[in-house]
Amino acid sequence: MIDLAVLQQGLAMLASPWTFLALSAGLAGGILIGALPGLTATMAVAVLAPFTFFMEATIGIPFLLGIYKGAIYGGSIPAILVNTPGTAAAAATARDGYALTQQGKSRKALELSLYSSVVADFLATLVLIMVAIPLASIAIRFGSPEFALLYLIALTMIATVSGESFLKGLIAAGLGLLVASIGLDPMSGYQRFTFGNTDLLGGVSLIPLLIGMFALSEILMQLTHPPERTNDAGQAVEHGGERLKWAEFWALRPTILRSTSLGTFLGSLPGLGAEIACWIAYGLARGRSREPERFGKGSLEGLAAAESGNNAVVPAALIPMTVFGIPGDTITAVLIGALMAQGMMPGPLLIQQNPGFLFGLFLVLLVTNVLLLIFGLAAIRWLKQVTRIPPTVLYPCVLLLCLCGAYAVNSSTFDLLILVVGGGLGYVMRRTHFPIAPLIIGLLLGPGFESAVRQSLVFSNGSLAIFWSRPGSLILLILLALVILTMAWRGLVKAGVIRKRSKSHPTKSNNI
Amino acid sequence: MSRPLLTRTFLAASLAAATALATGQVLAEESHLPDEPIRFVTPYPAGGSHSLHAGIITAVGEEFLGRPLISVIRGGGGGAVAAAEVAGSTPNGTMLLFGDPTINSLRPQVEDLPYEMDDFVPVARINYSPAIFVTTPDQPFQSIGELVEHAEENPGEVVYSSDNRNGFTYTVFEMLKATADIEMRGVELGGGGPAVTQLLGGNTMAYAGDPSVVGEHLEAGSLVGLCVTDTERFEAYGDIPTCQEEGYDVVFQFWRGVMAPAGTPDEVIAELSDGFQRLTEDEGFLRLIGQIGSGIQFLGHEEFAEALAAEQAALRDAYLDD
Repeated sequence: MIDLAVLQQGLAMLASPWTFLALSAGLAGGILIGALPGLTATMAVAVLAPFTFFMEATIGIPFLLGIYKGAIYGGSIPAILVNTPGTAAAAATARDGYALTQQGKSRKALELSLYSSVVADFLATLVLIMVAIPLASIAIRFGSPEFALLYLIALTMIATVSGESFLKGLIAAGLGLLVASIGLDPMSGYQRFTFGNTDLLGGVSLIPLLIGMFALSEILMQLTHPPERTNDAGQAVEHGGERLKWAEFWALRPTILRSTSLGTFLGSLPGLGAEIACWIAYGLARGRSREPERFGKGSLEGLAAAESGNNAVVPAALIPMTVFGIPGDTITAVLIGALMAQGMMPGPLLIQQNPGFLFGLFLVLLVTNVLLLIFGLAAIRWLKQVTRIPPTVLYPCVLLLCLCGAYAVNSSTFDLLILVVGGGLGYVMRRTHFPIAPLIIGLLLGPGFESAVRQSLVFSNGSLAIFWSRPGSLILLILLALVILTMAWRGLVKAGVIRKRSKSHPTKSNNI
Repeated sequence: MSRPLLTRTFLAASLAAATALATGQVLAEESHLPDEPIRFVTPYPAGGSHSLHAGIITAVGEEFLGRPLISVIRGGGGGAVAAAEVAGSTPNGTMLLFGDPTINSLRPQVEDLPYEMDDFVPVARINYSPAIFVTTPDQPFQSIGELVEHAEENPGEVVYSSDNRNGFTYTVFEMLKATADIEMRGVELGGGGPAVTQLLGGNTMAYAGDPSVVGEHLEAGSLVGLCVTDTERFEAYGDIPTCQEEGYDVVFQFWRGVMAPAGTPDEVIAELSDGFQRLTEDEGFLRLIGQIGSGIQFLGHEEFAEALAAEQAALRDAYLDD
């Protein structure tokens, strides 16, 4: 079925030492960029793309792909070690990853994050190669009503990350949605809550706020509430704790497989990215877990779900790009630009006209995973030492990096202010036991949800029927109802047991 | 009395030295630009046609402008954030906006934005592209005349993909609706990518966009071209008529041009304009621009200023009449 010449051309591309070198350089650079909070994959790919215009396509494009993959993985490293997600997609990773680090199991967390990422990425790449075309033809049928319902399903995950108080979770999520509505109205262009401030026209920048809420508030917490140092001088175990056992990883295979399929599906929908996939995967894993109470307190399942969910998005986001020439997310939009500058227009014509190059790219994607594993393991050897650095040295360095990162996103000093405000808000929330995750989810999903709902209502001339009259939206609506019912049922069972014991008498007397 | 003399001699000597130094510098560079890099601001998020063009301009530009160019990608507010920032920067040629008609001609007139049209002076137009009205092969209309007819028979039933309020697509559809006197509904999807996706997915029925966005689908046959919003046919797709040929007076050229904040000295504007002209004549630059499916229709600062003033007046008439 596959043309032999195509196969040969693809393999030749892989065999070129320059391709290999470019890929390795991109991957190593990507991990570093992802690990620095504020420097995002999108930024890196956008800034470096013009330089690849002067390179051969077989060097320039693998270089950019390496950066993309490396950066998404790299974001999990600071999330685990210092509770500072390097990218927005790693926000869910920080919950359980950092909890594990606090328990002295940073090595295990880093290894699990690496293995989940590599496995998810590998499987999603196979999906890209095998079923890109059928999957894409389903994905393109998804219109605004379906997106609105998907966003709504994602928003129900607030319940799973709220911690002890659902009410506090809802308040935090509402605050997130409110902050997300600042800026120019996406449809009519009116200014909302900008108070005449030009810097707020584009909305509150997400990355600086995220860095502030996680990193700065963590630093403030360390300052006012230093954790008790377990001072067992005769440490028998190696620093960073023990390594991940094979049995532990093997036990996680249903979680990883589930999160990977979810991430792959969400990634193949143009417009949904890793930031959303990680939270849905996380919430789903908690719902299916036998020990949901461990989530947020160092659950291996939670960490594996978040990391495999966000990494599966990377190859999947290439599906709409290769099949239709439509960007799956902002990074693939930049990649399309880079491909165009090489005289190759991604989309149906590329499959017909240059199948060898495309096949080579797919092979490159698979090889990247092997390289990622090697680079990652090498990095962990050093990274596990980070916990050895005294907090008085570590946190000032983290703060400096955060300030640089927040500034770099938009080269705007106003973003530094957002970072500080976010840090203060995060600190107050932690002290008053408000969960931060629901706020982040509200902030991430708010703009997309709003646009999708309002676009749907323009489609339907204001009729809500559009949310159940289409086959796709009907299925999603039923799914949403099921999610809510399951959650409600679980909650009632939990509360009902208590009620049964205490209210058995009054119920009887009432029924007379 | 010896002291004043000494002072005077010293003064004269240092003046001479300063003059010599200054002349030397002018001879070496002949530039009115401050000796620092130029920030070239793209007002949209990375990935669109603006950032592609800007990437090439900033990568090749130093040789022709005599200063390194730093590409600043500053999205937000449909371009308003970047425009307001450049408008408020020091007017000495060190910060330039990569502008377009929606940012520099249309929106400041119809929206309440933190900058005015007169906050900018034109430096150079790099190129322009027309919009191509398109639909999918399974729609009941396959020409612009049939689209208008269909919309007349089913008022408000034709739903099209739009980009942003007062954006490129939005504007040409408003023009079509006004000249043909029809009712259609636009869904603002935020950009060319999602707009084409919704059209291909059968959720909307028509779209009008940049040839770089729709071109590939025209070649593959997944989209059908209806008409071009220019006075001449688009070379690469010569079989698509202009809207004027079909009897609808919709002409809109979406230019990409360099704008400087108002108050920038004339000699700096002229020098920048010359620099960009030399850049757009460079073979390597033209090859790269060709590879992204674009071309060059350069206008120097004087001609560009005239064209811009005419466009701003035309849009004022079209929009503020009703």
